[in-house]
Amino acid sequence: MKSVNQDSKPLRLFLSSLTFVLFFTMQLFAQSDDAENGKKIFNANCAACHKLDKKSIGPALEGVSEKRTREWLHAWIKDNNALRESGDADAIAIFEEYNSMPMIAYPNLSEQDIDDIIAYTDNKPVEKKADVGTVTAASLGIDSLQVVTGKKIFNANCAACHKLDTKLIGPALANISDKRSADWLNSWIKDNKALRDSGDKDAIAVFDEYKGSPMTAFPQLKDTDIEALIAYTSHASILDAKTKDAGAEASNVAEVAPIPWATYLVLLVVALFAIWVYFIGGNQFLKFLTTIAILIGTGYILYAWLMGIGVDQGYKPIQPIAFSHKIHAGDNKIDCQYCHSNAKHSKLSGIPSVNVCMNCHKSIAEYNGPVTEEKDKAFYDGEIQKIYDAIGWDKEKLAYIEGYEQKPIEWIRIHNLPDFAYYNHSQHVTVAGLECQTCHGPVEEMHEVEQFAPLTMGWCLDCHKKTEIKMESNEYYAKIHEQLSKKYGVEKVTVAQMGGRECGKCHY
Amino acid sequence: MASNKKYWKSVEELNENSSIVEKLRQNEFAEDLPTDQFLGDKETLESSSTTRRDFLKYVGFTTAAASLAACEGPVIKSIPYVIKPNEVTPGVADYYATTMADGYDFANILVKVREGRPIKVDANKLAGPSCATNARVQASVLSLYDNNRLQNPRVKGKPVNWTTFEKGLTSKLNELKTSGKTIVFLTGTTASPTTNKLIQDYKATYENVQHITYDAVSESGALDAFQAMYGERALPDYDFSKADVIVSIGADFLSDWQGGGFEASYTKGRVPKNGKMSRHIQFESNMSLTGANADKRYMVKPSEQAQVLLNIYNAITGNGTAKKTSVDAGIQKVVKQLKAVGSNAVVVTGLQDKNAQLVALAINKALQSNVIDTASTRYIRSGSDANVSQLVANMKAGKVGAVLTFGVNPAYTLSGFAEAMKKVKVSVTFAMSDDETASISEFVAAVPHYLESWGDVNIKKGHFALVQPTIKPLFNTRQFQDTLLNLMGESQSYYDYVKAYWNSTVLKGKSWNQALHDGVATKSVTASVPVIDGDTVENKINAVSAASALAASIKGSDLELSLYTKTGLGDGQMANNPWLQELPDPITRTTWDNYLVISRIDAEAKGLVNTIQSNGAINGSKVNITVGGVSLENVPVYIQPGQAPGSVGLALGYGRAKGVNKNMIVGLNAYPLYHNFNPHQAISIEKIEGIHEFACVQSHHTIMGRENEIIRETTLEEFVTKPKKEWNADVVVSLDHQETPIENVTLWEKFDDSIGTKFNLSIDLATCTGCAACVIACHVENNVPVVGKHEIRVGRDMHWLRIDRYYTSDMTVEKGKEEGIYGSGDFFEAQSHPSDDPEVAFHPVMCQHCNHAPCETVCPVAATSHGRQGQNHMAYNRCIGTRYCANNCPYKVRRFNWFKYFDNNEFDFNMNNDLGRMVLNPDVVVRSRGVMEKCSFCIQSTQEVILNAKKEGRPVKEGEFNDACACAAACSSGSMVFGDINNEEKIKELSDDERTFRLLEFVGTKPNVFYQLKVRNTNEA
Repeated sequence: MKSVNQDSKPLRLFLSSLTFVLFFTMQLFAQSDDAENGKKIFNANCAACHKLDKKSIGPALEGVSEKRTREWLHAWIKDNNALRESGDADAIAIFEEYNSMPMIAYPNLSEQDIDDIIAYTDNKPVEKKADVGTVTAASLGIDSLQVVTGKKIFNANCAACHKLDTKLIGPALANISDKRSADWLNSWIKDNKALRDSGDKDAIAVFDEYKGSPMTAFPQLKDTDIEALIAYTSHASILDAKTKDAGAEASNVAEVAPIPWATYLVLLVVALFAIWVYFIGGNQFLKFLTTIAILIGTGYILYAWLMGIGVDQGYKPIQPIAFSHKIHAGDNKIDCQYCHSNAKHSKLSGIPSVNVCMNCHKSIAEYNGPVTEEKDKAFYDGEIQKIYDAIGWDKEKLAYIEGYEQKPIEWIRIHNLPDFAYYNHSQHVTVAGLECQTCHGPVEEMHEVEQFAPLTMGWCLDCHKKTEIKMESNEYYAKIHEQLSKKYGVEKVTVAQMGGRECGKCHY
Repeated sequence: MASNKKYWKSVEELNENSSIVEKLRQNEFAEDLPTDQFLGDKETLESSSTTRRDFLKYVGFTTAAASLAACEGPVIKSIPYVIKPNEVTPGVADYYATTMADGYDFANILVKVREGRPIKVDANKLAGPSCATNARVQASVLSLYDNNRLQNPRVKGKPVNWTTFEKGLTSKLNELKTSGKTIVFLTGTTASPTTNKLIQDYKATYENVQHITYDAVSESGALDAFQAMYGERALPDYDFSKADVIVSIGADFLSDWQGGGFEASYTKGRVPKNGKMSRHIQFESNMSLTGANADKRYMVKPSEQAQVLLNIYNAITGNGTAKKTSVDAGIQKVVKQLKAVGSNAVVVTGLQDKNAQLVALAINKALQSNVIDTASTRYIRSGSDANVSQLVANMKAGKVGAVLTFGVNPAYTLSGFAEAMKKVKVSVTFAMSDDETASISEFVAAVPHYLESWGDVNIKKGHFALVQPTIKPLFNTRQFQDTLLNLMGESQSYYDYVKAYWNSTVLKGKSWNQALHDGVATKSVTASVPVIDGDTVENKINAVSAASALAASIKGSDLELSLYTKTGLGDGQMANNPWLQELPDPITRTTWDNYLVISRIDAEAKGLVNTIQSNGAINGSKVNITVGGVSLENVPVYIQPGQAPGSVGLALGYGRAKGVNKNMIVGLNAYPLYHNFNPHQAISIEKIEGIHEFACVQSHHTIMGRENEIIRETTLEEFVTKPKKEWNADVVVSLDHQETPIENVTLWEKFDDSIGTKFNLSIDLATCTGCAACVIACHVENNVPVVGKHEIRVGRDMHWLRIDRYYTSDMTVEKGKEEGIYGSGDFFEAQSHPSDDPEVAFHPVMCQHCNHAPCETVCPVAATSHGRQGQNHMAYNRCIGTRYCANNCPYKVRRFNWFKYFDNNEFDFNMNNDLGRMVLNPDVVVRSRGVMEKCSFCIQSTQEVILNAKKEGRPVKEGEFNDACACAAACSSGSMVFGDINNEEKIKELSDDERTFRLLEFVGTKPNVFYQLKVRNTNEA
C-alpha cells in the first residue's frame, strides 16, 4: 500500500528521450523482426482463434515456423483459400483437420507484420507441459487421465459441499476409499437415501453426524465416473504437483524483464558525440547544429514529460488483499458484473462489499489453483482469510461470529478521475453496451489490476468521435432518429455528433 | 406600460447626479483589486533588500518547486461496505417521503438521500399543494449537519449516558410526586397526534401534569377568535384561487401568516384568464412580501389598521359608524369591490388581537366568502398566550415543580422565562443545540433532527403525514417521545407507538408501508358543528361587541413598531444555518442582519441616513430604541421605501447567541420587545453616533443602467383591451436604417436546434412572489459556497440565482388627479419622492443561457461554450479566471470564486467541517479559487433524467426535466417552468404566450430563459 508501483519519473523521462533519439534510427530497427510488434498484431488479429500453447479454434501456433516454411506461412496468412485451391497438401490437411472451417484471410498484413508474428510465435518461450506428474503417476501405476476426469466431476458435482482435506458442509473426502469400500461409495453416491433405508449402519452414522441434512443423490453418475472420483480423492496430490511445476515455470518466464540496454547505448553514443563536437574536434557549424539539436531534444523531452503528468497509465498499486482478477474473472470465468453489479445502475462500478465475496467464499476457504514459489497455497489461503477477518467468519464453525467488529477493506483506487470530470458507468455499460475490457483492458488476465487506459480527455474524446450510437433498439432515440433521417437523411450518428464532445456533458 | 415607468433597485439610483451609481453601472467588479495593500507603500518597497533579480529567482524556484510537487498523485482509497444494505446503490439516490414540523414550518417533503446522507429537500407532490417547501424548509437539511448540535445528553453540564440521564430524571420527578407541584410540558405546536397523546398518557403516571403549547411567534388571537366562533381551536384554511378580491389588513399571508403555505392558491388567481384575475389590496405598515405582490398597497400605521378593519366591517354589515382614517378613499373603493364580488371576496388580517380576528371572520361570514374554509381547519399553530403567561407567573410563584421544554427555546424568545426558570426545581430541555434554554437547564436531552426521527403530523383536518428517518442518528441522541415512553416505564419504542396509533386510528386496515411510502394519508373527518345552548356557536357569537371592544382598544402613538419575521430566519430556530443567513431578504436585499426599517420621512426627521459606498455597500445610522420600558441599543436603521410614515419594523429571530457558530451571531434579539405577544408596540427611538455596515446586495450586479428595459409589466385593462404591441411590443432594431425584428438580426450563422432536447426556462413574473425558495434550492443543489457578511458587502455574493427586486412608481398628473391629490403637497411629494410609496416587482435572474452568448466569445481559453441542448456550459477546470466573461455578460449572472471557500478557516461555514460537507451534492464539483461559476440549468440532473430514460428505453416524460431543475422544482407557485421546448407541450405553449418577453432582447443574445410579463389588476370597480 505504501509503495506504489508507478512508472518512475526518470524512467519515463528516459523513455521520452529515447523516443526522440530513436527517431533517427527508426528505419534501422524497423527492418528487423520485432517480436513485441508481433505480439500486438497477434493479439489484434489472431488471438480470437489461436493460442500459442494449445489448440483453440485454430491450432496452437507456438513454434509454428519449425513445422512450416516462412513462405508457406506468408501465403497461408494472406490468403489461405488461394493456397488450398492451389492444391497445397498441407493446407488442405489443416483445413480438414479443423472441420473445414476456413480461416479469415489477412491480405492487409504486410510482409513485415507477418514476420513479426512469426518472430513472436518463435520467441515466446516454450512453456513445457510438465510431464513430471505423468511420470510419477505412471510409476505409481495410476491412470492420471482418470484422476483428471475425477477432478472435473468432483468440481462439477461435489465441490459445493465437500473438500478434500477439510470438512465443509459434508465431510472431507481425501482418501475416502481407505475408509469405505468402492461398492459402498458407489451406492451412497448414487442414492444415499436408499442406502440409509436399507439399514446400512455407516450410512446412518454419517447422516446423523451431519445433523440429518441429506446429501443430494447423483443417479446420473456412471460407474466409471465414480471410479474416477475415487481415483481423484485418493491421488489428487499428483495433480497439485503438476500444476505447481507448471506454475513455477510460468512464473520464471514472466520474470524475465527486457533491459533497455539499447537506449543506454544510444544515449552514450550521443553524449560521446556531443563531447567530441564541443571539446575535441568539430567545426563551428557542427557545434551550432548540435546545440540546436540538443535544445530541441530537451524541449521535446520536457514537453513529453509535462504531458505525462497526472497520466497514471499502468498504475498498479499493491492492494490490501492480493486479489487476483485472473483467478476470478479469468480462470473461474466469473462475470465482471457479478461483483461490480453497480456498473449497470450507477455512475460508480462499485467495489464489491465483503458480503458479495462471501457468496462464494463461504464454501471456498482455501486456494487450490496453481501456485508459485513466493505465492504458495498458504499465501493465497492467507489472503482469503483476510476476507473472513473483515466480516467475521469462523471458517471452522462455518458461521458468522456474533458481535464481531467488522473492518472494511481499504482498497486502493486505481482508476482515479479528477473531481471535475463526471463519468457514469451505467451510461457506457447499460446504454452503450460496452465491454468492460474496452476501457479496463484484459482484466481477466491480470493478477493485479493496473490502469490500462490513459484516462485522458483525448482518450475519451477519441472514442466519442468514432463510436456510433445504437439508436435502433432504444425507444429513447426513436423520435430524434426519425427526425434526423427525415430532415438530413442521417441514419447513424456518433456520440460526438449528439453532443458527447461538449464540455458541459462531463464537467459540472 | 413599461416604457413610462422608471424602475430602480436602490433609492440612490433616483439621484441622477450620483457618481456612485454611474460607477456601479460601468464596473462589473465594483471593488478594485487591493493592490495598494502591497504596492502602495513605497517606502517599504524601496527599503526591501530583495532585488529584482532575486525576486525573479524566487519566482522561478517556486514555480519549479510547485510543479514538481504537483507531479505525485495521491493514493486514494476506495472503501466498500462490509455488508451493503440492499436499498443503497452507491451513486444512485434514494428518496424518502417525510414531513418537516418544527413548530414554525410544516411541509410534506421528499428527501433525496445519497449513500445514506440526506442532501436535498423537495416538495412531496403526492401531498398536494398545501404547505409549500419555502426557503427554510429547503435549507433545513443543513441543520442536520450542524456542528453545534448536542451530541450527548447532559446532566448539570456533564455529558452522561442515556441510562443515567433517564434514571436521574425519573428519580427527580418522583420526588415531585409528593410535593404536589405541577410538571409542565412546554412544547411548540407539534401538530402530532401521537406526541400529544403521549403527553396525555404521561398524566397516568404523574397526575399533576400540564401540557402547554407555546408558539414563539404567536397566532393566539386568530386561534382564540376561531375557537370562539367555530368552537374548535384551529385556524381556518383559505383557498385564494377562488378569490376575485383579496383584502389583507396587515396579513403577510405569502410569508408566515398563520403558518403560510398560501402562495400556490394565491398565484393561481394572479394570471389573467378570460380577461379576469384577482385583485389584491393590502393595508400594511412594513413593506411585506405580500404587500409587494399587491395590486394596490396602502401604507397604514398598525393602530390605524384596526380602524380600517372596523370601517370595512361597518360598511359591509351596516353596523356602527366609520371613523376617519388616512385611507378613507381607498376603503370606500375596497368596500365597493367587496360588495360587488360578494362570496368571491375575502378579508384577512394580521392583527394579533382576538377581537380583530373575530371582526375579520365576521366580515367573511357577512360576505358568505367561499375563499375561507372553516370546515377543513389547519392545526399548524395552537399556542395559547394566556396559558404561557400563566405558566410564567406560576413558575415565578414557585408553583411549578418541573418544566420540560421540547421544540421551543423560551429562554431566547420569551422574556422573563429565564428568570422564572430559576424558581423551578427540575428543569429539563429537549434540544438539538446548546441553546439559551439548554444552557439554563439541569437536564439537557439531545434530540435528533427531524430527518433522523419518527413521528406524525396532522397538518390539516383529515390530512395526516408521517415523519420517518432518512439517516441513522449521527449522534447519541434520543427522541423526546422515546424518552417519555422510557420515563413511563414502557418497553415499546416511539416507532411502535406511532405505527400502532396509525393502524388503529388513521389507516384502519390500509397499508402502513404504503402510507410510509407516500408520506401522507387522508382520513375523512365529518365536521361536527359545535352547539351551545341549542344554537351553533357561530350564530351565538356577537361580532358587534367584538367590534366595539376593538374600537375601544385602539390606541395610537407617534411612532409604532411592527415586529415581523423574515423569509430567511423565520422565528430564529435555524439561526445557525449559514444558507439562510446569507439569503438576501426579498424586500431589503440585505443579508446577515436585522435592522429597524423606517420611512424616508421619519428618517429625515430624526436625521437618520443610509449612504451607499463606492463599492456598492450600504451604511446606515444607528439608534437606541425603547419599547415598553425595554431598550435595545445600537440598532441599525434601514430606510425602506413603502414603509408607512410613523411606523417602524424590526425582524424577530436574530441575535441568537448560544449554540450557534460565532459567525452566525448577528443582528439583535427583538423578542424582549414582543410584549404580550403583540407585534405592534409603541416605540421611541433616539439617534446615536456610529455607522452600521450592511451586507446588502441591492446595488450589486447592476445591468449597466438598462434597468428600464428589463422589467415589463402591464395592467389588466391594457392587457385585455389593447393589442399585444401596446404592452408587449416585439423588439426591433435598426438594420440598414430599417426597423427589423431582432430575430432577423444576427452576426452568427444559424444553427439548427429544432431536433433533440433543447432546454428553456420560463418565469412568470405575474406569479413570482419573490419567496426565495428557488435561491436556496439552487444553493443546495449546486454546492454554492457561503461567503460571509464581509464578502457580501463588497459584492462577492455567490448566489447563482438572484431575485432582483425593483421599485417603480408612475405618479403622473393624470394619476394624481385620479387619486385626488393633484395640486396638493402630497402630489408634489409623490412626484419628487417616488420611493416613498413604490410598487414592487420581483425578477428572478440566473444565467440566461443565451444562444448567442457574449461570454463565450470573449473567453480566451474556451472554458465556456455552448451545448446542443441550449445550455451555456462552464468548464471550471478550464477556467483561468480572467473574468472577461463576467464583464461581457449583460445580465451579470456570473460569479467569481475570489477565495477557496471550503476547508478555509476564513470562511468558517458548513464547507469548513466534515459534518457540514456531508450535505454537498456528490454530482457537482466544488469550485476552487480563481474560477468563474454560474447557473448550469442543473445539467447534472437533466443528464440523469436523460440517462434514466435511455436505460429504461423510453422517451423522457413530460415534467421530468422540470422536477430535475432545482429552482423550477422548488417553485411552489408554479412561476418557473423548465423543460424541453422541442418535445414538451407546456414549455412550448409558454414560449408562444403573448405575455412572453426575453431579457434585454435588443442585445441580440437570444436567451433560452424567457419571462411572462407582470399584470397588475388596477381595475378599481
